[in-house]
Amino acid sequence: MPRVQVSGVAYRLLCTVTTVLTLAVALPNALASPVASTTLVRDALGREVAIPDSPQRIVSLFASNTELLAALKLEPRIVGIEDFTRYPPGIRDGRVIVGGRLGFSAEAIARVRPDLVVLTPARGAASTLIRPLSLIGIPVIVLMHSNVEQIFTNLRLLGRAASVDGHAERVVSDLRARLNVVQARVGTLSPVRVYVETGENDRGALQTLREGTYTADAVRLAGGRNVFAGLNTITQVSAEAVIRADPQVIFVARNNSFDPASIGRRPGWQAVSAVREGRVYAIPRALLLIPGPRVVEGVEKMAALLYPLTVYGAVKGAP
Amino acid sequence: MNRALTVAVLVVVCALLGVGLGAELLSPPAWMLAVQDTNDPLGRLIWQWRVPRVITAFCVGASLGVAGVVFQGLFRNPLAEPYLLGSAAGASVGAAIALLVPLAMPAWFSLSLLAFAGSWGATWVVVAMARLTGVKSGTSLILAGVAVAALLSAVRSLLMLVLSDDTVNVQSVISWTLGGIQTPYWSELAGVVIPLTLLGFLACLTLARGLDFLGLGDEVAESMGLAVESFIRRGVLIAAAVTALAVVWGGLIGFIGLVVPHIVRWWVGARHGSLMIYSALGGGCALMVFDGLSRSLLPPSEIPLGLLTVMVGVPFFLLVLVRESRR
Repeated sequence: MPRVQVSGVAYRLLCTVTTVLTLAVALPNALASPVASTTLVRDALGREVAIPDSPQRIVSLFASNTELLAALKLEPRIVGIEDFTRYPPGIRDGRVIVGGRLGFSAEAIARVRPDLVVLTPARGAASTLIRPLSLIGIPVIVLMHSNVEQIFTNLRLLGRAASVDGHAERVVSDLRARLNVVQARVGTLSPVRVYVETGENDRGALQTLREGTYTADAVRLAGGRNVFAGLNTITQVSAEAVIRADPQVIFVARNNSFDPASIGRRPGWQAVSAVREGRVYAIPRALLLIPGPRVVEGVEKMAALLYPLTVYGAVKGAP
Repeated sequence: MNRALTVAVLVVVCALLGVGLGAELLSPPAWMLAVQDTNDPLGRLIWQWRVPRVITAFCVGASLGVAGVVFQGLFRNPLAEPYLLGSAAGASVGAAIALLVPLAMPAWFSLSLLAFAGSWGATWVVVAMARLTGVKSGTSLILAGVAVAALLSAVRSLLMLVLSDDTVNVQSVISWTLGGIQTPYWSELAGVVIPLTLLGFLACLTLARGLDFLGLGDEVAESMGLAVESFIRRGVLIAAAVTALAVVWGGLIGFIGLVVPHIVRWWVGARHGSLMIYSALGGGCALMVFDGLSRSLLPPSEIPLGLLTVMVGVPFFLLVLVRESRR
């Protein structure tokens, strides 16, 4: 008797599973509704993305993308951000956090019903989000930034995606004009040898810039010549290598708790030109290590510090 | 029959937990509302992403559970399992090559093929190393497995560094090594994942009788008509294939293949037929729940699944080790 009962249960279970499976296969076709009007853009991965005209609910992953959107005055349309975004002020108020150090949740993003998601291929964002979000019809734009010019390209791309092309064009030409001012003042001068320190591990290996990044490009635009320009993949250098390279200026883009003056107290560093001449400067990380519009401010700051006599006081933001 | 019913209930409960657990925990009525509303992006995501993922988690867990049973039976070693034997590490090297090197094959094919080749090759290297030591104890096999797994993970890291293009591929390899369900489309699920899991499971079932004989010792097994050497070769082949399947869709997930067969053995006894059936179901259940937890413990981030299973699995591994040493 019990045998019959169980097979009855199994049969009913099978029926339920079959129904659910059929539904799940049939459902997506029913869901594909025609979209009224869309803009086609090509993102940094070469994907053609169709975006509804003038998206109103944007999820922006990473500080850089949020700053780009804010520069286009699209901040009010941002509904979701990730956990390390701090700028512009007030950006965290009332916005949903959709991910952090460990990665991002497609479900948390879906929950805020966005009509556009902007991200950069970091912390697994691209590999974990593009597929599920595309599957449910949420457009995803991927941005990359290997030089300062690409920051402008990204602004234009976002402008097109959000139907504010004209405004994006104005923002880009303003930023470009500021870079031109710097260029006019320092372009003809001989470049200054610079070492940029972005961090340090607990065994004393120092972290510096990698070529082929917007940060290295920003240093170049400011009139600096990275003493470790040959580093393409590994960004750790030894103190010895820095002393041997003898930079004329040292920029420190580390946490606020780090005291730039401590560099002069490192053993052996008193021989370095930058230390001897007191040209060790702190640069706010946000101006150098977030590929947004504030990089231009970083270029201005660095130029003023590299060429105090030529640029001092003439460029906005100089000390 | 009572036992079957218990397991059936367990599978249903774990599946419900799997589809219920997410970055945001909805109450059952709100959940029902979301999945019925075709305009709700979360509802669509649950149908298109979470449900296939839960089913895949079941398939991966089932494969790991049954592969663990086969490895433990073949080597008569209670600590044998895909992760500790280096089979999973081998599969992950194969998968990394398939992902990072452009090959003249469809992606799903090269991925499965290379993962299988890696898993099979690594298992044989481990077996050969263990035999070379000539020690008939379990430790040599596990030590060889750990050594080979370490070597393979170095090879995999080197591949990632050398072939990295800074974008998507490397990140998928990383997520692979930390373990995490690679959600298939419904079509892939119905056409590839489920059929292959069933096939692998049935292939393992054909080994059950032989494994029972083998448990009595080589000589007894030979006298009962089992060609031990060729049987072991066949067993390693099948278990490596099942491991590769699990690694392709789940990455490196440790200790499910160890913990589940042990618990099941305490419950249903050592006969390999029922051991396999219940280990497959139990492994599937465990992974559905673990995968759900990985989504919901630290929302909105996901904890890599492999880290969770190892954190739970290692204390259990030590428990088994202590029990074995006191025997």
